Amino acid sequence: MIELAHISKRFGAVAALDDVSLRIEPGERLALIGENGAGKSSLMNVLYGLYHPDAGEVRFDGRPVKVRTPAEALARGVGMVHQHFTLVPTLTVAENVVLGAEPSRGGLLDLDAAVAQVQASCRRFGFSVDARARVDSLTVGSQQKVEIVKALHRGVKTLILDEPTAVLTPQEADELFSVTRALSESGLAVVLISHKLKEVLAFATRLAVMRRGRKVAEVAPKDTTAEALAALMVGEGNASDSPLPGPLPAGRGEVVLRAERLAADKLHDVSFSLHAGEVLGIAGVDGNGQRELAEVLTGLRAFTGTLELFGRRCAALSPGEARGLGVAHVPEDRLRRAVVADMTVEENVALGRHGAPPFAKGPLIDFAGRRARTAQLLDAHDVRPRDGTLRVGALSGGNQQKLVVARELDAQPKVLVVVQPTRGLDIAAVAAVRARIHDERARGCAVLLVSLDLDEVLALSDRVLVFFEGRVTAELDRAAFDERLIGRRMLGVADA
Amino acid sequence: MLELVAALFSSVLDAAPPLVFAAVGATLSERAGVVNVGVEGMMRAGAFVAAVAALAMPTPLGVLVGMAAGAAVAFVHAWLCIRWRSDQVVSGMALNLVMLAAGTFLLEAVFDSPNATPSIAQLPKWLGHSPLTWLAFVVPVVAHVAVTRTAWGLRLRAVGEKPQAVAVMGVRVSRLRFSAVLLSGALAGLGGAALSTATLDRFEHHMPSGLGFMAVAAMVFGRWTPLGAAGAATFFAFGKALSIGLASSAPALLTVVPQGALLALPYALTLVVLAVSGKKSAAPAALGQPYDPELR
Amino acid sequence: MREALRRALPSVLAIVASLAACFVAVGLTRGFGTAVDAFAAMLWGAFGDWPRFFDDGGSGAVLRPLGEAGTKAALLTFTGLSVAVAFRVGLFNIGAQGQLMVGAVVAAVVGAQVELPGVLHVAVCLGTAAAAGALYALGPALLKRHRGVHEVISTIMLNWVAVSLVENWLVVGPLRASASGDNSISGTAQVHPSAELPRLLGDTSRLNLGFVLALVAAAVTWWFLARLKRGYEWRAVGLNPEAARAAGIDVGRSVVHAMCLAGAFAGLAGAVLVLGTELKYPATLGAPYGFDGIAMALIGGGHPLGVLGSALFFGGLRAGGTRMQLFGVHKSFPELIQGLALLLVAARYVWDRLLARLAKKEAARA
Repeated sequence: MIELAHISKRFGAVAALDDVSLRIEPGERLALIGENGAGKSSLMNVLYGLYHPDAGEVRFDGRPVKVRTPAEALARGVGMVHQHFTLVPTLTVAENVVLGAEPSRGGLLDLDAAVAQVQASCRRFGFSVDARARVDSLTVGSQQKVEIVKALHRGVKTLILDEPTAVLTPQEADELFSVTRALSESGLAVVLISHKLKEVLAFATRLAVMRRGRKVAEVAPKDTTAEALAALMVGEGNASDSPLPGPLPAGRGEVVLRAERLAADKLHDVSFSLHAGEVLGIAGVDGNGQRELAEVLTGLRAFTGTLELFGRRCAALSPGEARGLGVAHVPEDRLRRAVVADMTVEENVALGRHGAPPFAKGPLIDFAGRRARTAQLLDAHDVRPRDGTLRVGALSGGNQQKLVVARELDAQPKVLVVVQPTRGLDIAAVAAVRARIHDERARGCAVLLVSLDLDEVLALSDRVLVFFEGRVTAELDRAAFDERLIGRRMLGVADA
Repeated sequence: MLELVAALFSSVLDAAPPLVFAAVGATLSERAGVVNVGVEGMMRAGAFVAAVAALAMPTPLGVLVGMAAGAAVAFVHAWLCIRWRSDQVVSGMALNLVMLAAGTFLLEAVFDSPNATPSIAQLPKWLGHSPLTWLAFVVPVVAHVAVTRTAWGLRLRAVGEKPQAVAVMGVRVSRLRFSAVLLSGALAGLGGAALSTATLDRFEHHMPSGLGFMAVAAMVFGRWTPLGAAGAATFFAFGKALSIGLASSAPALLTVVPQGALLALPYALTLVVLAVSGKKSAAPAALGQPYDPELR
Repeated sequence: MREALRRALPSVLAIVASLAACFVAVGLTRGFGTAVDAFAAMLWGAFGDWPRFFDDGGSGAVLRPLGEAGTKAALLTFTGLSVAVAFRVGLFNIGAQGQLMVGAVVAAVVGAQVELPGVLHVAVCLGTAAAAGALYALGPALLKRHRGVHEVISTIMLNWVAVSLVENWLVVGPLRASASGDNSISGTAQVHPSAELPRLLGDTSRLNLGFVLALVAAAVTWWFLARLKRGYEWRAVGLNPEAARAAGIDVGRSVVHAMCLAGAFAGLAGAVLVLGTELKYPATLGAPYGFDGIAMALIGGGHPLGVLGSALFFGGLRAGGTRMQLFGVHKSFPELIQGLALLLVAARYVWDRLLARLAKKEAARA
């Protein structure tokens, strides 16, 4: 039995954890829920030895223990599967699983023994993965299995899963839950960190709700509802900021973008048209060409096939040309592609339109104009803090994203391409970004939404295209949305 | 003709060790994810210290001291890059410049000669070549086995691709990287010592005259593997041997090709080889990125 | 302004620490009295022999050292700018030395073999030298852009190619000055007087127009990088090329342009060396100004005015270094001070992190 007692942890001025106490009983399925930034991952990182608490202690069977490193956590039977996989892509499954506890013979690595051991573990826990396969050749779902085997192989008694279904199809998620339920029934304690209330209510035996670094409630699933949990997660008075906005008013305009047999890298053959005033959602498991589609449409990737923007054929498109035609881009990895972290907020606002007024006068930078426009945008989009001279890297993720959205929308785009727009953001920022997408749609902008979160796609889109292996396997209007069907099409299952 | 080829082969055997040791060393460091352009400075330290130490002690011991000097320089690089997450290229280049200045200064201040240290006794030759030449066959193989067949090697490869993966399995990233960088410094020091105790018998003011960078180029060309790096290093050594060999064995050539062109040959060759071998897609994925445990 | 001073702090601290450490080293090995004398001699030799000036009023006591400092500072500024400009787009130009040599030899040839009226001759020499340096830097830029070859390696290889071709072939071969009378002259032919850079202090020192040109170059570079759209683009490219590309900036073209400018600056350094002090390309160039440029750029934080500041300071120290010999300290001691300062600056990130940590602690306590 594990007990986290009065744990506190600060990062600079921010209290990630504030006097949190939690018990984990053997064989139970505990769900740790809360919005992004509530502290769920931080708390488990303390248990796993990645973070050292400023106050409080960890107890195993009543005895206080200092868990200083993941090695010590593993030695005490605690394993963790993180959101971002910690697998080495160029090594095999067996090599990844035995890393840190490698079998050896005469001083040299015994890879055959490693493979045998891993295969035995896989069989024991009910997974089927090829131990000799290189990790980068596996699907995301399989990679996650490898992550779990990695933990189980060490004989852990407590398994922590951090947002495991974020990138899985509904079917893969079902499979994950049935396997972990079986494991918990044979004595393994499972801690599930999630913000998805439906799955948590179905899977867990106990729920703990966190908000702003504190534990605010503990309930059994049968004693509560999704709405009540949402209210607890977000706090009184904010219940109206529900993450999923209501149904959209209809209003589709003329075709602004037409793609025919578009192909590039993982994109193989995609044809569709995009209309003004609609949100077209792209659903699919990661790596099936959605990313490449977004890059093609924003000029970041060369392509073959036909692309028509506003009636004009484009044989090739550069990022500058795309911008000039009225295509705005809110990319997935903002720190890599949307902002220059070491530049100030003002300088980032100018990025992309820095050559023209109000950001420039001829060849010179217009500092006053830039400052004024920035102040305007920061206000309008509630970006905090309201200081244009700060380094963008110092802003929180949510504010960075709001800044990117503010900048892109300021150009009054006719086509808006957004990829994973709300990943890692807190509820308020998520609501803000989704509201903007809503507003643009109402303004007549055509929005292409790529997201790995199926719930988000279904909530925001008028129409959905399902991608599998670079091709469109389904196209559905809002009225015909069917989550199970979409899930099958995401896996390429082509039944009736 | 045959004598020419034999002579060329022989001079490659003499010219290769410094490059081979340094290239294998660079490979170890970069495979672990730490860029090491400071190899030139580490070689210079090794060359100088070995030549000076050999004035006061048996040459083999001097070579060991040279290795330690290389490792000491590498320690500074490791400390700056791993502990303090400095820019790795800046750290390496700064060390190169410091070693350049230090070497020149000490040479002039201590030995009163702007050109070279006094001669030392070279290592006794085995089968016509310095023992370091034969060692240059052994070291790449040992490194290869270490990297591909030991637990340390597996962790080394893992930490260069994805340090987070290694950290969550309980292995200390910084300790692993430190060991790799120190080893690379020791090998670079050995390479430098080979220059001043085997190839020549003294430290000359320009040493290693760009060989450290050639070793890094060899590592790139050899796709970051010990055997590949050693092979590429030998190829570049061939270029150097060719330029010296042609000048001395075919003097008639000098009427057509200026000596300067021959001297430029190995460097130009390195450049051409790199240009042709294309983009470095074989580099370890986490190369050059300082590891920040709180970044997930 | 406060921000600029705060950014300069690590470099200033590094220089002070380095001076202190070297002072202690000399003190321990030769006695602290000697250390004081030696360092004083260096200072007077660097920034003017003010005691002597106040003693006997001869302005030469101050002007000669300052002139010498300025002469060296001009060269360090140009090579420092060369490296700093490349840094802006994220490239490490280690090839300043080779680019300098190429510029120097071209200036020497155009200065000696062509006959033109004064101002025009100087302009043409400088222009061709800059172009030569730019061309020599173009290769590595293209190799990086199209073949992914790391510029550290390619520029260093080209340095050695330049040394081999220029000093081991051209200068001792086709371009060698013909011996006249009993004197055998080394290096290339002397340049025509019309190509010489005018002296600023008459006969008192070697300070020449190159110093003014260096000041102008630093100012123009600063203005370009801080005020122009193009400068902003280059900065974005250096800090985050992917984001720059997504913003519509032509990353490849920026990189090539910046490298060519970097090469041009280094070429100008070579031209100033030839046309201002040596008046020909000598047998060997002596001080590795190209490599010192790297130190200037790093110590100066990559900022054109920082480069100028470092160049003025270290140029002074270099000029004063010769006077240390009188006290038994080797004349290349300033290089050691420079090297140590460089290492401490490379550890600037240590300063940065320490300062950042202190700031966080303050904020947490607040």
